[in-house]
Amino acid sequence: MDKSVRKISRREFLGVTKAVAIGGIVAAGIAGGVSGYLARTPEVKEVTKTVAAWPPVEGLRPIKVGYVYVGPVGDYGWSYGHDRGRRWADERFKNVESFYIESVPEPEVISAIESLVAKGCELIITTSFGFMDGTAEAAGKYPDKYFVHISGYRSGAAGNAPQNMSAAFAEFYQLYYLCGLAAGAITQTGVIGYVGAYPIPEVVRHINAYILGAQYAYKKRTGKNIKAHVTWLFSWVAPEDARLAASALIDDKNCDVLNYTEDTPAVLMVAEDYQKKGRKVWSFSHYSDMRAYGPTAHLTGPVANWGPIYLDFYRMVATNTWQSVDIWSRVGDYMPWRWRQPLEKSTAGKEEGTVYLAPISPVIPNEWVNLIKQRYEEMKEYLFEPFTVEGHDPDGKEPIRDQDGNVRIGPGERADRGTLWSMDWLVEYIEEPLPK
Amino acid sequence: MFMLERRMDISRKASSLFVLLSLLLAFFVTGLIFHLLGVDVAQFYSTICNVFITPALLLQAVFRSIPIILASLGLVVAFRMGFWNIGAEGQIYLGMIAATGIVILHVSYGAIPASLMLVAMGVASFLAGGAWCLIPASLKVRLGVNEVLTTLMLNYIAMLFTDYLVYGPWRDPEGWGFALSIPFPEYATLKYCGNPSTVGIVISVAVAGFVYFLFKYTKLGFTLSVLGKSSDVAKYAGMQAGRATLLGSIISGGMAGLGGLYVVSGMMGRLRPRASPGYGYTAIIVAMLVQLNPWLILPAGVFFGGLLTAGDALQSSLRLPFSAITVFQSVIFLCIILAEFFRRYRVVLRRL
Repeated sequence: MDKSVRKISRREFLGVTKAVAIGGIVAAGIAGGVSGYLARTPEVKEVTKTVAAWPPVEGLRPIKVGYVYVGPVGDYGWSYGHDRGRRWADERFKNVESFYIESVPEPEVISAIESLVAKGCELIITTSFGFMDGTAEAAGKYPDKYFVHISGYRSGAAGNAPQNMSAAFAEFYQLYYLCGLAAGAITQTGVIGYVGAYPIPEVVRHINAYILGAQYAYKKRTGKNIKAHVTWLFSWVAPEDARLAASALIDDKNCDVLNYTEDTPAVLMVAEDYQKKGRKVWSFSHYSDMRAYGPTAHLTGPVANWGPIYLDFYRMVATNTWQSVDIWSRVGDYMPWRWRQPLEKSTAGKEEGTVYLAPISPVIPNEWVNLIKQRYEEMKEYLFEPFTVEGHDPDGKEPIRDQDGNVRIGPGERADRGTLWSMDWLVEYIEEPLPK
Repeated sequence: MFMLERRMDISRKASSLFVLLSLLLAFFVTGLIFHLLGVDVAQFYSTICNVFITPALLLQAVFRSIPIILASLGLVVAFRMGFWNIGAEGQIYLGMIAATGIVILHVSYGAIPASLMLVAMGVASFLAGGAWCLIPASLKVRLGVNEVLTTLMLNYIAMLFTDYLVYGPWRDPEGWGFALSIPFPEYATLKYCGNPSTVGIVISVAVAGFVYFLFKYTKLGFTLSVLGKSSDVAKYAGMQAGRATLLGSIISGGMAGLGGLYVVSGMMGRLRPRASPGYGYTAIIVAMLVQLNPWLILPAGVFFGGLLTAGDALQSSLRLPFSAITVFQSVIFLCIILAEFFRRYRVVLRRL
């Protein structure tokens, strides 16, 4: 019974996403960009923020692209997000035929890749960590095809896979930090929670970034330290467990702002339920704009669009300019306008690039919304990074410490890619130890 | 009035005919459903048939079916002795763990020479899978605990134990903290002996031959079959029923363990959490489909692998969703169950 209710609302949500994503942004962007396409006269245009559409691709040879998904595209989570990216890229590239195979088990990824190769695909994109070795093996077997693996660490560029394999990821830690600022700005109890999928570095750095942001805002607001609790699900998709974990964090631990890594809006829905019962509990979007699931409880949230990354690879293949790359797309990447904007023109909360914030709720006090916007804009120019003393302490003095009190990031330091990639420690404000 | 009458005289020929007819029926029904949904049915059929006549695709089908076949052969032993082993999935995981353990022993301590690695891994995964199956078997023999429950529950324990290992002590130090074991060195993968599909076929045929030999020519096999027919008869005949059950369960679980070896060493090249997408459960269906005939497991397993491969092709060619393939498989199961029913019973019109 509960399931059917969720399904309907999920569908409703898809409707909203379509309306917002395709109707709003694409239409606006294409209206501007495509007029040039229709006129068929290439012209140098002044770059303005309204150029959201990519220049139309013309005269390139047609390509066939194959995608391998780990789940069903209807999961409204990870695989759904990648399929949205595929459609986004296809719409813009035009001269492309794309195929996908969904629900592929990890040991059988090679079979799925071979089916796509047999179909004539020359670019194959595999979108789950567990597909990494299989993709590298296929890349060795088919040196004249191109392979992109999402969320792994093997690529020709990194030197641990053939040159026809690239790696890519849309990274969220900066956005989680901004969510943390929102959490620290709005929490009344001074206790915030996180429902984590698996204790892997990706999730660990997202948790840490979120808590650092919250500590910054809460310390600045009240002079006190934030307290945080983390619960692990050991699953990417477990709406029922996520619901229970969220309720426990609220009832037993007194958390009033919850963030999470789980592929459904379950945690946000729990927060919304508490709001309806009159208790102020807040949560976020995850991977897609999920406002429809928690109109009151929704603050903002990290959202990804994989489309620009895919389109980039399409072009490399079609123009025979392939180069193995290891992309870690962050705020500012794949944006037509990589400059800081003044606050009143900030694009925080609007779709752009590959990772961006879901719309920012008006319940967050204005000064904090402004700080979120300022940090977001600064990130575009690499002027601000969460894993720094300045991101942690409003006075810019206290180093970032782990749970054992060891200094992990001191004054003048900035966490590098290796530190972020392999992060296996939690910041000091979290009560629960990291499961090992 | 319609009555059901049990068939007593069903020949082997007739019973295989029933299975074939049920498959044809399934193809027909699925075609009809997809036709009503506006799918090009001719292309649908040709895509599926294509898998079984194109060598490259057939090899893929074999590749995917080996773990199912090996686990299925183990289940033949268990089911024939009346031991309802639902735990092949867990036994597969134990096989993966043991094989990985040997690799880690070798890489970290140099305990085993490289040339003996595959043999050592094979023995270890067989013993580990067998030991995992021995737990519910001894509980059954000693305490009379129902094995359906214990074997099933041990699956989750095995799966979570694998999680613990790859998130914990066995996590690859060079894996950036992701949940995976170290990659197996070349000589610890089946590629070392040749194409994994070919190696898989050789292992499967050998194991099927072993199961056939076990039941046809050995005392243990005979004891197991009698046990399966009636444990009381076995007891009255003075057979060591308990001992036979324990031995049979080791063999049964051991074969699933070999399936696990194939997953890590032939397919993935390292251990990952949740590495088996349910091979142990599909194995149950395959074993039942061929009525516990070890030789027929081979084509039946490849048929299931072929359906999965066809599923990939259907998704890319006809753009059918994965659930369409699930529908197809479900229709096949339903038709097989239906055929099984009509194989055992005939409907007669009788006047009361």
